[in-house]
Amino acid sequence: MSTAPDSLAEMLQSAAAMQESGRAVLRTLLGMGDGEVGTSEKHCVHSEDKIRLYRYSPLARSANLKPVLICYAMVNRPYLLDLQPDRSFIRELLLAGLDVYLLDWGYPDGADRFSNFDAYVDGYLRRCVEFILKEQALDSLTLLGVCQGGTMSLCYAALEPKQIAQLIIMVTPVDFKTPENLLSKWAQHIDVDLLTQSGNVSGDFLNLVYLSLMPFRLTQQKYVNLLQLQGDRVQLENFMRMEKWIFDSPDQPATAFREFIQWFFQENRLIRDELALAGRPVRLKNVTAPVLNIFASKDHLVPPSASIPVGAHIGAKDYQSLEVDAGHIGLYVGGKTRKSVPAAVAAWLQKRR
Amino acid sequence: MSAQGPFSSAFPPSAGFLKAWVDQAGAFQDMFARLVDQSTGAMPPMPPPNLAPWKDFVDRMGMGGFDPAQLLPGAPALGLSREYQETAARLLDLSKQFQQRYAEFAQRNAAIMQDAFHVMKKRVDATPQAPKTPADLYDAWIDCAENAYHQAAHSDSFARLFAELCNISSAFKVERGKLTEQIARHLDLPSRAEVDTLHRQVRALYEAMRAAAANTGAAPSSTTGSAASGRDQHRASKAPRKPRKRARK
Repeated sequence: MSTAPDSLAEMLQSAAAMQESGRAVLRTLLGMGDGEVGTSEKHCVHSEDKIRLYRYSPLARSANLKPVLICYAMVNRPYLLDLQPDRSFIRELLLAGLDVYLLDWGYPDGADRFSNFDAYVDGYLRRCVEFILKEQALDSLTLLGVCQGGTMSLCYAALEPKQIAQLIIMVTPVDFKTPENLLSKWAQHIDVDLLTQSGNVSGDFLNLVYLSLMPFRLTQQKYVNLLQLQGDRVQLENFMRMEKWIFDSPDQPATAFREFIQWFFQENRLIRDELALAGRPVRLKNVTAPVLNIFASKDHLVPPSASIPVGAHIGAKDYQSLEVDAGHIGLYVGGKTRKSVPAAVAAWLQKRR
Repeated sequence: MSAQGPFSSAFPPSAGFLKAWVDQAGAFQDMFARLVDQSTGAMPPMPPPNLAPWKDFVDRMGMGGFDPAQLLPGAPALGLSREYQETAARLLDLSKQFQQRYAEFAQRNAAIMQDAFHVMKKRVDATPQAPKTPADLYDAWIDCAENAYHQAAHSDSFARLFAELCNISSAFKVERGKLTEQIARHLDLPSRAEVDTLHRQVRALYEAMRAAAANTGAAPSSTTGSAASGRDQHRASKAPRKPRKRARK
């Protein structure tokens, strides 16, 4: 590496500029709150214990398609899909004329520690699906599952194939034991019985695990990169909204979490055709509705290899996969993908009306 | 500000500060030198040097060197307080296990950093041009560090160590819970076990109500509302509230 005086002078100049930018960032951050999230208008149409089923107000003429029920993961908050007006997956679906419902699992607490995985899939999810079908006098709807919510949606679609007209899964783990899956490697030796013996699993613990997947980028670099934003208020507000979402992780109900880790991560029951819920076998072959599988090529949480195998295991003849050049979160909020992905979803649904 | 300046050796607080700074720098130098040697004793001693005054204090109070587990190793707990003794011994043992595993984990991470430094040095040596900005240099370092970490983190030994830390910590929480249960009983406070029983009963009642509602065709035991009535409700008032954080340690 050159250490010529010119190079050093250039470096020092750049360091000084960075310091000035850092001051500007700090000045802007000092007067800034968290920023509002989940801004699209919605109303609660059904609630039960901690869960809420929301229906979004239309933003465009109806496309006359089946209603879409979004089943988000339990490990994070669903407002990632509606972070702000110009970065909202849900808003784009509404603008395409879709009728969108969202299942919000809420913040489980000590009262939920004995709720099992059955209770969430065959209980809460089932009752939300049935509520929508009854409200709209329909016999089937479109189920859109995200991440862990995608796995739950697959289970439900396998249990109740007639209620699902189309299934869309996004960054969804199906094969939990692929070589690229770091989260799964770590989960293999964890004593989950012991972990959940003293109650719910804290969101802080989960965050620690997520950060440990890429510790240098997630705990250092992203904050250093803030300096490059030069005090740009809009960008800093975007950053703060994302920061709020990342660390807003609900505690996980002990029993359901234990079963999810043991059955899916450690025993890989879903893809091995060994899963049973509510006393009934969950067979991917029973998923016969058209399926769109969207996965992200740079996903460090759910690597593509965990999502791709679903096509070979389901019974659907109409299966399509969509690889997106993004990460697990960037898929929804990234510069290009935040519009292209919902557009692809709407177009896929239009073709299957 | 005095003419001598705040960091002059004639200014007593600054002299102390400078000495502390030099001592600290020396300690770091020593640690990094040992890291470079990849020696097994690379990690700072436990407890760290900055806790030495506390250790001295404990020794002066006549409490130094007390280690219940070493007093009569392997001896069964006896007498009225035997259950507390057992719980305390298990907590102590788990603390030690955690400390040992954490030292291994820290050592493993230090080795990862060392690997990353080597890769970074090679990369810098191989590049004739200096990075244009400190940000470029920093990003290159992060790439090296993340790559080195990625390789290590995927190994089975890392996964086992990570899991052991988690498992020991879980076991500690279980033992601590037992102790809290005992204290709650003594103070006539509702214990976790009692609350758990109530939660189980409430859940069973809900299930029975749902089953009964399903049999009679009545509305399920939940809050439902038409879209029109729901629209009138303020959005925020219906949103799930994030519980206030409680101390977890």
